[in-house]
Amino acid sequence: MRNRLTIASVLASGALAAWSAAVAAPLRIQVPADIRSLDPGVNRDNNTDGVVLHMVEGLVAYGEDATPKPLLAERVDVSPDGLSYTFRLRRGVKFHNGADLTSADVLWSWNRYMDPRTDWRCLSDFDGRGSVKVTSVTAPDAASVVFSLEKPTALFLTALSRTDCGMTGILHRDSVRADGSFDRPVGTGPFKFGAWKRGEFVRLDRFADYAALPGKRDGYTGAKRPLVDEVRFLVVPDPATARTGVMSGAIDIMPDLDSSAMTELKDDKRADLSVIPNMGLVGLIMQTRDPVLGNVTLRRAVAAAIDKPEIVAAATEGFGKPNGSVVPTLSSYHGKVQDEDIAYDPAAARALVAASGYRGETIVMLATKRYPSSFNTAVVSQQMLRAVGLKVEIEVLEWATQLDRYAKGTYQMQAFPYSGRMDPSLSYETIAGPKDRQPRKLWDDPGVQALVDRSMVVSERAERQAIFDALHRRFLADVPMVMLFNGIASGAAGAEVRGYASSPTALPRLWEVSRAPAPPPADPKGPTCSVSP
Amino acid sequence: MLRFALTRIVMAVPTLLIVAVSVFVLIRLIPGDPASLMLGDLATPASLADLRTRLGLDQSLPVQFAIWFGNLLRGDFGVSINSQEPILPLIVSRFWISAQIVLVAVLLASLAAVPAGVVAAWKQDASLDIGLVALATLLLSIPTFWLGLLLLLFFGLKLGWLPVVGYVSIGDDPWRGVLYLVMPVTTLFLHEIGVLLRMARASTLEVLRLDYITHARAKGLSETAVLWRHAFRNAFGPTWTLIGLVLGNLLGGIAVVETVFTIPGLGRLLVDSIFARDYPVIQGCLLFVALTYVLVNLVIDLCYPIFDPRVTAQ
Repeated sequence: MRNRLTIASVLASGALAAWSAAVAAPLRIQVPADIRSLDPGVNRDNNTDGVVLHMVEGLVAYGEDATPKPLLAERVDVSPDGLSYTFRLRRGVKFHNGADLTSADVLWSWNRYMDPRTDWRCLSDFDGRGSVKVTSVTAPDAASVVFSLEKPTALFLTALSRTDCGMTGILHRDSVRADGSFDRPVGTGPFKFGAWKRGEFVRLDRFADYAALPGKRDGYTGAKRPLVDEVRFLVVPDPATARTGVMSGAIDIMPDLDSSAMTELKDDKRADLSVIPNMGLVGLIMQTRDPVLGNVTLRRAVAAAIDKPEIVAAATEGFGKPNGSVVPTLSSYHGKVQDEDIAYDPAAARALVAASGYRGETIVMLATKRYPSSFNTAVVSQQMLRAVGLKVEIEVLEWATQLDRYAKGTYQMQAFPYSGRMDPSLSYETIAGPKDRQPRKLWDDPGVQALVDRSMVVSERAERQAIFDALHRRFLADVPMVMLFNGIASGAAGAEVRGYASSPTALPRLWEVSRAPAPPPADPKGPTCSVSP
Repeated sequence: MLRFALTRIVMAVPTLLIVAVSVFVLIRLIPGDPASLMLGDLATPASLADLRTRLGLDQSLPVQFAIWFGNLLRGDFGVSINSQEPILPLIVSRFWISAQIVLVAVLLASLAAVPAGVVAAWKQDASLDIGLVALATLLLSIPTFWLGLLLLLFFGLKLGWLPVVGYVSIGDDPWRGVLYLVMPVTTLFLHEIGVLLRMARASTLEVLRLDYITHARAKGLSETAVLWRHAFRNAFGPTWTLIGLVLGNLLGGIAVVETVFTIPGLGRLLVDSIFARDYPVIQGCLLFVALTYVLVNLVIDLCYPIFDPRVTAQ
């Protein structure tokens, strides 16, 4: 009996040691470029957001279905007139320096963001120049914050949740130095800042006092337990090197695979793929003021010439699904109407080409190799368009140049990848608008603009859905763009990694991720969790 | 010698001035806007205007140039648009990382290629010569990124001897630091050995045909003495010049090797800055590269008399 006990205790301590070692070993994640800063929503890009949002959290955050849900707020109460939002803060939430989260911190963070000296990139979205104007923010008690708006909007919580705004993350005032300059993020996220060696890596350490929500992981909210002691974002610019790193075990997670990497790794036992559609939009955008493509009949011919299932299969190596609407398939507003699309019909396309009066003019399609799925889209579409008699040439540009041409509207056609918009209003706002003032807009139609503006104000779901349905039908009629598919968020995790899943925002999420052996189950009772063995 | 060096340095000033103006103008001729890139397709006119003002991009080009050049004269290279870091320390820190790879690789390549080139010339048309020339041509023909990936796959992935990704400074951990440098140094070494071997062979062949070599042989000197005492010293000049050019080129950036092996060196900084349209860093890097090129070649010229007494630094 004593021997059995001894063996059992040896086995138990061995398992404990293995678990401790797995927790202690850093989780290494590839990033293709160094981050720009640690300041949420200020000097940022997607890489920066992907790192910073492990340290800071906002009052609300996107869920898996791209709708804003409470995170630091326990609940959000909206006044009947839609002009007042009251956020009740969760109790027991601590900052990385041990201080409790209070409404004073929310006020301080908000005032800092709204100070033009902070250079918050989303300032213009809240000061009245965009869709929202916050007129005042008050803290009636230590656990409540009230935001007052000038006029009702359906996009306030969506705007607060935006990842490129740093989730309007709530920071402790220890985040800034005595002179007011930013030092490091002292937030409430599951990981706290460890070190940043420029050009090499960023190290984040587990925040032991993290106040995790119960339940499952849900986008950027829900369960967010830190299950490893350290995560390390390694700057590895070359994708081939990163793939080799995943295969050799030198890298645990490669969060953004291109299509060739997906093909290479999908049958490799050394890596697990996680592929989901994201909120990005990939399509062929057309300049409606171009002498050739200004002709709507010709644009309809372009749409009818595109075999979307084939193009999507080729561009995404079979991982993507066609979507003819700018409302992403993940969105709760993507319904039956959004599934309506212009059918692939080469004969009809040829007839439309003839009817349009097209006389064989060359149409130049811009493309970039920076985004392989977008480039593949251009190559395959070119062949389909040529098959119906359109003389299409591809001009390959470096991304900065293509973006510049997009912003200036100086193009005929582009295979263009839009980053994710979390609300259909924002998707339509991206493409619709006056070209005279904003040359990047694709669809200059006052009637459409009025519908888009209306969709930003009403919050009643059925009315919004009706607006989006109407917009989609007009989109198919006017064809300012041939929408093809939503982007793919695809990551690869090494065989030892447990729990990694790509996110709809395509940013890496390292909470609820561990190494083998699996972590002990979470305490289902308490809102906080412990990861100690 | 001092006067020669000073004259060369003074002569470099107009070169650097031309580089400064050209870089400033040319980089702005490339389409693309750093503010637009930073904000991406989510940019609104208001946020774009705010950022352009903050970055000083709303000012006219002559004003931007005057500010940048004025700061440059005071030794201030400015601040990176991307990372908000002061540029000169950033460049210097990245330069040292590149330099340790380049210097070791070129030194090893020179030590191997020069004797091999001389021997190949000595044994002209023999199988040793043919073999060495074929090897040099092969090494020269292999692109460095492909060679680097092959090394990664074999020594990193298959054998697991060397780290595949990451970088550790030798100052932080000498042993691990060296391990991380083995493959990038080997890649450059193998590539440069081809370049230098061919030059050493060609220049030795040229010298071996001269009358004074025939004279030395006629005096009854051994082949070894003829080769190393008479032929080598006179043939080394062109190779030494090439070493200088190679060093100057490589110190200016080994972006491909640095990208494959995830080395945060100067080349990668420059390439990343070009993609991000980080104008101040691009300008700073290119000026620094031009200055390095001038200085390396000055040092090479000053060393000439050591190898060839006929050359003086006057």
